[in-house]
Amino acid sequence: MKRFKYIITITAGLILASCHKLAVTPLNILSDNAVFSSATGVTAYFANIYSSLPIEDFKYEQNNGFNQDWQNFYHPGALCGELVGPYGSTYDGAGGFGYWPYDKIRTVNVLIETLPKYASSFTDVQKNQWLGEAYFCRAYFYFALAKRYGGIPIIKTVQSYPAPINELQVHRDKEVDVWKFIEDDLDKAYQMMPETSVRGRANRYVAAALESRAMLYAATIAKYGSANFVAGDARSAGFVGIDASEANAFFQKAIDAAKLLDGKYSLYQKSADKVKNYTDVFLDQDSPENIFVKDYSLPSNTAHSWDATMSPRYMTADGLSRAYPTMEFVERFTSLLITNADGTPKRFTNTGDLMTGLEPRLLATVYFPGATLRGLTFDTQRGLYEHFTGTAAAELSSNPPNQQFRHLSGSTDALFNGKRIIGFTGVSTDGDDKTRTGFYVRKYIDYNKAQADCGLYKSTTSWIDMRYAEVLLNRAEADVELGNTSDALTTINLIRTRAGATLATPGDITVDYIRNERCMELAFEKHYWWDIRRWRIADQILDNTRYHALLPYLVLDENKYIFLRENEPFQRSYTFEKKYYYEPLPGGELNKNPNLYPNNPNY
Amino acid sequence: MILVAGFSCTKVDNLPGPNAGFKGRIIDKTTSANLLTETSGMQIKLEELSWSATPDPQYIPSKQDGTFEDDKLFKGHYRVTPYGGAFWPVDGVELDINGTTSHDFEVTPYLAIKNLTNSLSGTTLTLTFNMVAPIPDGLPQIIDVKPFVNDTQFVGSGANINNYSDVNKITLNSNYSDVVGKTYTLTIPSLKSGRTFYARVGVRVNDSFKQYNYSDIIEVKVP
Repeated sequence: MKRFKYIITITAGLILASCHKLAVTPLNILSDNAVFSSATGVTAYFANIYSSLPIEDFKYEQNNGFNQDWQNFYHPGALCGELVGPYGSTYDGAGGFGYWPYDKIRTVNVLIETLPKYASSFTDVQKNQWLGEAYFCRAYFYFALAKRYGGIPIIKTVQSYPAPINELQVHRDKEVDVWKFIEDDLDKAYQMMPETSVRGRANRYVAAALESRAMLYAATIAKYGSANFVAGDARSAGFVGIDASEANAFFQKAIDAAKLLDGKYSLYQKSADKVKNYTDVFLDQDSPENIFVKDYSLPSNTAHSWDATMSPRYMTADGLSRAYPTMEFVERFTSLLITNADGTPKRFTNTGDLMTGLEPRLLATVYFPGATLRGLTFDTQRGLYEHFTGTAAAELSSNPPNQQFRHLSGSTDALFNGKRIIGFTGVSTDGDDKTRTGFYVRKYIDYNKAQADCGLYKSTTSWIDMRYAEVLLNRAEADVELGNTSDALTTINLIRTRAGATLATPGDITVDYIRNERCMELAFEKHYWWDIRRWRIADQILDNTRYHALLPYLVLDENKYIFLRENEPFQRSYTFEKKYYYEPLPGGELNKNPNLYPNNPNY
Repeated sequence: MILVAGFSCTKVDNLPGPNAGFKGRIIDKTTSANLLTETSGMQIKLEELSWSATPDPQYIPSKQDGTFEDDKLFKGHYRVTPYGGAFWPVDGVELDINGTTSHDFEVTPYLAIKNLTNSLSGTTLTLTFNMVAPIPDGLPQIIDVKPFVNDTQFVGSGANINNYSDVNKITLNSNYSDVVGKTYTLTIPSLKSGRTFYARVGVRVNDSFKQYNYSDIIEVKVP
């Protein structure tokens, strides 16, 4: 009897359990319905996409990727002579980090396919804005891929998975088709989005700005990549390289896209003091020049470390610096008057006197010896000479006459005859946590921030991913390539006026001049690496190249300063191999998908 | 317990190790001697076709004397190609590597340094030479000619004293027609007294690799 009782109880239990319906919506997975039927759902979905956009901001490292740690001095400019410091050679970053964001592209494609099914929940304007943003984001991802690898698979639908493997093993598309796909997405984005957007998100002009940038890349790759290239199977198949005949159409598109921003944005000119004004371009949150920005905050754990890692520890609360502007970069603006007509080094009472008369933009981009920050002076000094006779050239030759009277040191504590041998801000013979070139980066350094607040992960200065000056430079470059020199002149002089530079004349306007202007204006904004790549000049300017420093010395018996233009003390040499014009496709992807072969030439 | 643990791991890896080797010479077709190069001045590209049609290539760097050798390869079927040096590109050959396999490759250099003379006056070394292209048609632009000076017999673009070498180069960026028949002079001043140096001339063209065609190495004793 007892046994029956158990059997009945268990059977009853089974029967009851079996009646539970199993088709209950799982509560831990968000359904399409939950996400795409409400404005909050779509906005949250976009937050995920925007946060994964490949914005090369403070925290981007060429060899490691996005959202890296505090070491913001791992700057791509330091691979190629805009800066020198943390990298031993160009090779350290030239291979990239295997960027392959098809998971993110899928996220965008899901939105593009799914949102129209919920169209009835929203107005057309609202729906189009979101679709436009999605096209913008997709183009942003493909732009990041195309500039690295050339032709990669264009995937514009949501691949179903699991699916037969041969459907998933897609082939590469031609490079030219990828750029045209980017153009197409950005055209759609422009048409569908409104004129304004909340901060950090795209509107139609953000799409146009990106289009001017992308089309300029495509145009220069077509024009210069067809003359300077590495032969290989990928090139023969069109996966890398664009026919030169496409160049002019792309240049024209860069101009057309740039012109869409006319009158919508303007260069930042709030302050009459040109140096302060140019410094504030990168600090003022309400700049009319900002097109697309990325914000950071302490509570969200997104703050960066630019202040703590681009200035010397002497002026910050934590961290250290390792990347320093080269003399060659400074000489893009002007050659510095450090020698007299007879070849002897000019004597200066204060190192800062050298800054007299220099272009305000240069002084706002780079901290010179003698400049001040947070009440402290860049007392940069390479060493002491007891006395100094003869010319600078003789001192830099292989038999320097004054070297026996020269004193250098690794330590800021070292004294000679009661005088400090080197400054607190360098130049030390040990290590590289003080300047090696005499200069420090000034751009984006927040001079209003108290020293105690300049710690690691404490900087919240916004990164300006696109600003109006770049759009003007895109336009001017495309102009000069197409022979529209008068428009190029007008455009470039807008920039030079704001910079406090002398105005360009019609005779100045050449391709090299416009490129130099771009390198000056967009310095340290992580354009330079990509620019010398797309101009296909990197292998010529980085050819066992050593960069130079501006090293101040105190001459003791005269109590004056001199500057010598020397090799930067580590004497690193930089060489760009031609194959670096494209990064290799990631090895892991090639293993998963043999259809991605051929890999880029010489990998 | 110990017994169990001990016996559980006795499976022996019975697949053959990388016990095959591949070596040979890279021969200059025009002189039948080894191509004048430097350590890693070119590579032998190996693609193992036994497993995959699209293998990850591996490379054997050349030695300074124009030979190459790798004695830690897996035996198998390979496509081997001389690659990445200052010579006209050649197609690879397929062969089986088993035991120690030898194979010599013939290549045609872009340029040869001919009639090299050297003279030392005081501490200044002067090198004169001219350049000859075995195949002039379609030769890429000639970028520059450089002296390479080092204090060991290993001398080339990867091993030199920069202050004697790179700074004394002549930049050309010329077509072969502007170079042929001309005599060039490289001057290396201020060599350190009492030392023995090794010097050679290198010239490179603007191909995909920008490697150097070299002269022989000369020994220079500075009094």
